[in-house]
Amino acid sequence: MKLERITLENFRQYYGRQRLAFSTDSQQNVTVIHGVNGAGKTSLFLAINWCLYSGEGAANVGELISKEAISRVHNGEAARTTVELTFTHDGERYLVARRLEGVKQPDGSISVSGADDFTMMRTRWDGQAERVNNPVGTMNAILPSNVRTYFLFDGEKIDNFAKPEAGDEVRYAIYHVLKLEVLTRGQRHLEEAAAEYRRELKSASSGELRDLLERDEKARDDREQALTRKEELEREVESTRRQIADIDQRLREMQNARALQQQRERLERDIKQRQAEMDRLVGNIRETATSRFVLIGQPAIERALVILDGKRERGEIPSNIRQQFVHDLIDQMRCICGRPFELGSPEHQRLLALMNSSLPGSLEDDVLDTSAALRPFAERARTLRESLNRDMRQRIELLALIQALEEELDDVSRQLKGSPQEEISRLEKQRQEFRADIESYWLEQGNLDTRLDALSKEIAQLEKQIERAKKDKSRQHLLTRRANLAQRAADAIGEMYQVFADDMRQRIEAKTKEIFKSLIWKDSHFQDIYLGPDYKLEVIDRYGLPARPELSAGERQVLSLSFITAMSRISEEEAPLVMDTPFGRLSSHHRNSITEHLPELADQLVLFVTDEELRDQARQNLEPRIGAEYRLEFDRGTSYTEIVEVG
Amino acid sequence: MMAEIAASRDAVAVDEAIHEIYRQLIEGNDPVSVPFRTMKDVFMWAACLGYRHGERRPLTGKRVTIFRWAQFTPQVDVPLLKALAIADSGDVNVLLSEDEILTIAEEYANAGIHELRAGVLDEYGQPLWNLVAMLGS
Repeated sequence: MKLERITLENFRQYYGRQRLAFSTDSQQNVTVIHGVNGAGKTSLFLAINWCLYSGEGAANVGELISKEAISRVHNGEAARTTVELTFTHDGERYLVARRLEGVKQPDGSISVSGADDFTMMRTRWDGQAERVNNPVGTMNAILPSNVRTYFLFDGEKIDNFAKPEAGDEVRYAIYHVLKLEVLTRGQRHLEEAAAEYRRELKSASSGELRDLLERDEKARDDREQALTRKEELEREVESTRRQIADIDQRLREMQNARALQQQRERLERDIKQRQAEMDRLVGNIRETATSRFVLIGQPAIERALVILDGKRERGEIPSNIRQQFVHDLIDQMRCICGRPFELGSPEHQRLLALMNSSLPGSLEDDVLDTSAALRPFAERARTLRESLNRDMRQRIELLALIQALEEELDDVSRQLKGSPQEEISRLEKQRQEFRADIESYWLEQGNLDTRLDALSKEIAQLEKQIERAKKDKSRQHLLTRRANLAQRAADAIGEMYQVFADDMRQRIEAKTKEIFKSLIWKDSHFQDIYLGPDYKLEVIDRYGLPARPELSAGERQVLSLSFITAMSRISEEEAPLVMDTPFGRLSSHHRNSITEHLPELADQLVLFVTDEELRDQARQNLEPRIGAEYRLEFDRGTSYTEIVEVG
Repeated sequence: MMAEIAASRDAVAVDEAIHEIYRQLIEGNDPVSVPFRTMKDVFMWAACLGYRHGERRPLTGKRVTIFRWAQFTPQVDVPLLKALAIADSGDVNVLLSEDEILTIAEEYANAGIHELRAGVLDEYGQPLWNLVAMLGS
């Protein structure tokens, strides 16, 4: 960043528009601005700061607007101040302007509503200018707000870095100026990411996959056992049936049992046939009952038909006459009976009215078709109800018939069991036992079917859960890898930070030492500069002891200046050094030394000085490097300051 | 001939929370204990019951598709869905929006399904005979 020009308008004691061009020459890189105390040096220094960063140093923003400018407006009228700065940075030219406006109050004060207005334009070397959409962000990218105090500084506070308690300030300065915060921010973000992954991992890993697999295995074993048992039962049923068939055969062969056995076989055939009839009937009833929701929907159908009929009565649906047909009749100027009619005749009017009141073609078709489809539903519902009632009556009759046949069957069995012939009685009892066995088998089969259904559902559910858990597991692997990677990267950045910060500290230490030695006059007394891991800036004297406690205020200022210029050199930050009253507390020896070397330590140097600060040898030292020089002339009569170029 | 409806929204959906009721009503082999054979029939029953009780309940939860529009029969189901839509809106223009016809039916079914379950599954007796009793009521 290299400052080119500043323009102030109604800023503090700078009434009207005042302009100052900074030296941008690389050899004559010093701009000197003279002013006695109270002439406006600090105001001009503040103007640069305010224009670039607003806020700081201007606690009462109302005071920024020139009192003269305020005095010249009426109550309720607006007074404003503007500071414009032109500078170059990275091969581009910027014009920034900050403007503040307030309304004059009856007591003469200014009420500022809202924030100041900051504008930034970028001008390329080809002359094209464009508005920068994010001026504050762009300004921070050019010279971050938190490091600007190391480049634009108040000479009276400069010795801060050299005070015994300044370790934190030195560390903070190195941290920001050398952009070490980029590394710590990266480290912090990665550590946060690693922590987030670990939290996700914790919630994702419940160790349930093994449990699910165990449950799945058990469910499959149970199903296998149930299927095996079911097959056994089927074989048992078959075997028992064969035994019953054997008994039946033997009973058929026994003269005293033959008739009853044959009667039983007839009854069984009959029952079987009736049961088949019953199955068919139940199937019919089911079909009728489940698909005949039309009966339930009858109120909707009736209501819809009322609406549709109403439309027709109002002529909005031309019954079975389609729109196209009406259109054709109008084209041919003929009535539906074939008789021609005149334009404007009642027939013609009627057909036109029909056309205009009818619905669009496709909807009309739909309405007519729906109406036609719904009309038979009532009749269909009636026949349906009758058919269902008939089927239900038939079912009751069939149930009664089957029950009667079964009673007959029981009677046959009782007769056989009560036979005086012991063999017949024994066989029938055995037969009954077998029948009971079969029923037990069926019962067990039924239970097994229920259990198999439940197991199949459980297995299907488990399969889904296992699939999900497997996905979770692969996600866990991924999360673990990510967490480890993020943590390793954070650790690596932490190590890099340490190495980088140490390297920077040592380079700054070396540079500070070099600059300090060139600036201090009694260099023989001070042997070394030390910037340790605790970031305390120490001057070591010839006895190898820290000399800071005994440094004079001027020496501390030189030490701080050395540190600041060392940082700007090491950081390679392209920024000017703007110093407000830098030499006020220095002895002439230090002043002479500093003025000799300082222009070499910055690309651009802007010095706000009193005449006392810059005279004799110091002035002579700077003379060849001065590219621009101004005097701030404060007129006590008007209370304005005017910027006057010298020479 | 009935104008063909190709619903722009082809999927017929129910709230995830009541999907289980549909499953209970169709899953199984015994017609007496599991009377319904298709989701479509359950849906039509539920929609008609919903209308009869004058209750439309918008689907608010996650939607589960239970079948496609093509399963509706053009002779019975589609005219009945249209009748529900016309009766509900009082306006034949509802026929211009196939989505609206389906939405109306879904919302009536969303309310009617609870009555169907109560009448068929929760009542004492076999579900098929309970269903027949509902036709008579």
